[in-house]
Amino acid sequence: MSTTTTGGPLLRGAGLAKRYRGVAALDGVDLELEPGGSLALLGPNGAGKTTLLRILAGVTPPTAGTLEGAGTGRGVGWVPQRPAVYQRLTTRENLRLFAALEGAADPDVAADRLLERADLVEFAGRPAAELSTGTLQRLNLGVALAGAPALLLLDEPTATLSPDQRHRLWGWLAELRREDRLALLFSTQSVHEAAANADRMLVLVRGRVAFAGTADELTAAYGVDDAEAAFLALLEAGA
Amino acid sequence: MIRNAGRLLVKDLRLLVRGRALLALLVGYPLLVAVLVAVALQSGEQRPSVAFVNLDTSGRTVQVGSRRLGVEDYARRLGQEVHLDRLSPGEASRALDQGRVSAVLTIPSGFISDLQAGVHPPVITVETSRRSPIQADAIQRRLESAIFRVNQQLASTYVDQTLHLVQVLVDGGDVSAFTRSGHVLGLTESRRLVRDVQASLRRSGRADVAARLDPLLNFIVQAGVNLDLANAAAQSLTNPIRLRIPPPPQGREPLTGFGFAGALLVSLGLIGTLLGAAALSSEREDGTLTRLRRGLIRTEGLVGEKVSFAALVGLVVGLLLLAAVAIFTALTVDRWGLWIASLLAAGLAFGAFGVLIGALARETRTALLATIMLALPLIFLGLFTDSAIASGISQVFPFGPAFRSFQTLLVEPSVPGRLGLRIGQLLLLGLAFGGIASFALRRRADA
Repeated sequence: MSTTTTGGPLLRGAGLAKRYRGVAALDGVDLELEPGGSLALLGPNGAGKTTLLRILAGVTPPTAGTLEGAGTGRGVGWVPQRPAVYQRLTTRENLRLFAALEGAADPDVAADRLLERADLVEFAGRPAAELSTGTLQRLNLGVALAGAPALLLLDEPTATLSPDQRHRLWGWLAELRREDRLALLFSTQSVHEAAANADRMLVLVRGRVAFAGTADELTAAYGVDDAEAAFLALLEAGA
Repeated sequence: MIRNAGRLLVKDLRLLVRGRALLALLVGYPLLVAVLVAVALQSGEQRPSVAFVNLDTSGRTVQVGSRRLGVEDYARRLGQEVHLDRLSPGEASRALDQGRVSAVLTIPSGFISDLQAGVHPPVITVETSRRSPIQADAIQRRLESAIFRVNQQLASTYVDQTLHLVQVLVDGGDVSAFTRSGHVLGLTESRRLVRDVQASLRRSGRADVAARLDPLLNFIVQAGVNLDLANAAAQSLTNPIRLRIPPPPQGREPLTGFGFAGALLVSLGLIGTLLGAAALSSEREDGTLTRLRRGLIRTEGLVGEKVSFAALVGLVVGLLLLAAVAIFTALTVDRWGLWIASLLAAGLAFGAFGVLIGALARETRTALLATIMLALPLIFLGLFTDSAIASGISQVFPFGPAFRSFQTLLVEPSVPGRLGLRIGQLLLLGLAFGGIASFALRRRADA
């Protein structure tokens, strides 16, 4: 595997593969993402979504394939499905610590900025363990922003949120995309969520790319009006 | 990367201080262990209670030399080794059953008369508790030792008495021993008398008769010379082998030193391994391990940080414990530089061992349980390395070398060169366990 940061797309992956004890979890996946763009990863359970995200985040190395672009390595903000923050540190301490670890010149200033950016000012002094699920997810996102990334990788970010919390989260992410030209690459189980919040979709089935394109292209390909119906038809065809 | 390791170390220390219950446990636990060890050592030095049943009610005494000895004299001498509780046979039996005494010592009837006759030595019976075999064994040894000492004192008195008799045989005089008394002429006087008789016979022209007395004179002279040698022979017979145990230097009593070195090992061994395991596995439980390994810190740096955290806390707790030992006990605690080096090296090795367990376990609870289950038997193996197998196993874990380092600093009046080797061994073990932990952590993350 090689990782480079050259001009062109923010992220380009080619032939990405991962095998666990001889079993292929991901097999020859290609993908591309432009700066400020958004890509949704869809697929049934065990399709390889989380494995692909972990490879893109640099958490686990691929067995084969190449990754290049500014949206790799430290240029990526990682938002795992389960919030990855220190439960006994306060919101501010978490943001300050990760800003310092990311090399912020003044971690205190960076923490204050992240508190505002993630709308967490009123929760600054609260330990993470005492935060509600939605607020904790915002802290999870705030920590991911500590390194000023060009790309946010989100693993099913709304899986544990209530509908109103989901709505607020997607609104906030849209704001980040607009204001910071931040690219998003997220996995989700909801085709509607993918269609509403991503420019393009990548559907994985058994570790391979079954579809890559926009929601309209997906519905057109299966001659249906609804993206979810098209997605189900794709899975049925794949089965 | 080193700066980030420092930031994580500060974070871990902050979380430790913030968790007041854990902090209290970390400080309180070793102090509790130290107090328990001190109490155990103190109880070991106390005289055990033994029921004393005297069935010899004759009130007789035996003359030994210039003194008359009775049962009470024996009891007084035994009382220097154990605490004697004078009871009737029935009371003694009940006290033994109820655990109020650890043994029953019975003086048989006719004890003094048997001693006086000297034909059959009198037999003292000791019955020990079957409920506490270890204590019973210790009491048996104490009483054997006490009887041996009393026998030795008696033998010495008998020898003195015999030597006195020998001296009377040589010099002549009144004698009283073993119920008999009378006047003895003595070899010196006998020799003078024989010589006078010979001189008188020669003067009266009966030289041949005088010459016939020469063998008797020779016998008397030879007997005198040989009896003069009896003194030294008898003394060496009383104490054929003498034992000399040099007293330990002030403040370096081996048993107390062993106890506190053990207390230090248990405290620091558990603290170091548990903190190492908990610090790493809690990163996994919080989900931050994945975040950190995305280029914020190298695996080796993270392992090093957790090991340093455990070692630093161990050092502080160890110094607190030593300060308590120095203040509240008679043990000498000095050579602080070497103590800091030993505590740090031991803490690094304990921490690395704990971090390895934390790297292998999937969750914190499993890591802590596995740490306790592994650490406890290894700690005891480190304390008691009598067999070659136990000694060999303890060499590849930090507990044995750490214990011997602590013991050396507490007990040895001068520091032997092998202390440096043990500190080096601990550092090597720390490196080895840390290396394996890094490998395991990388393997697990890549899987």
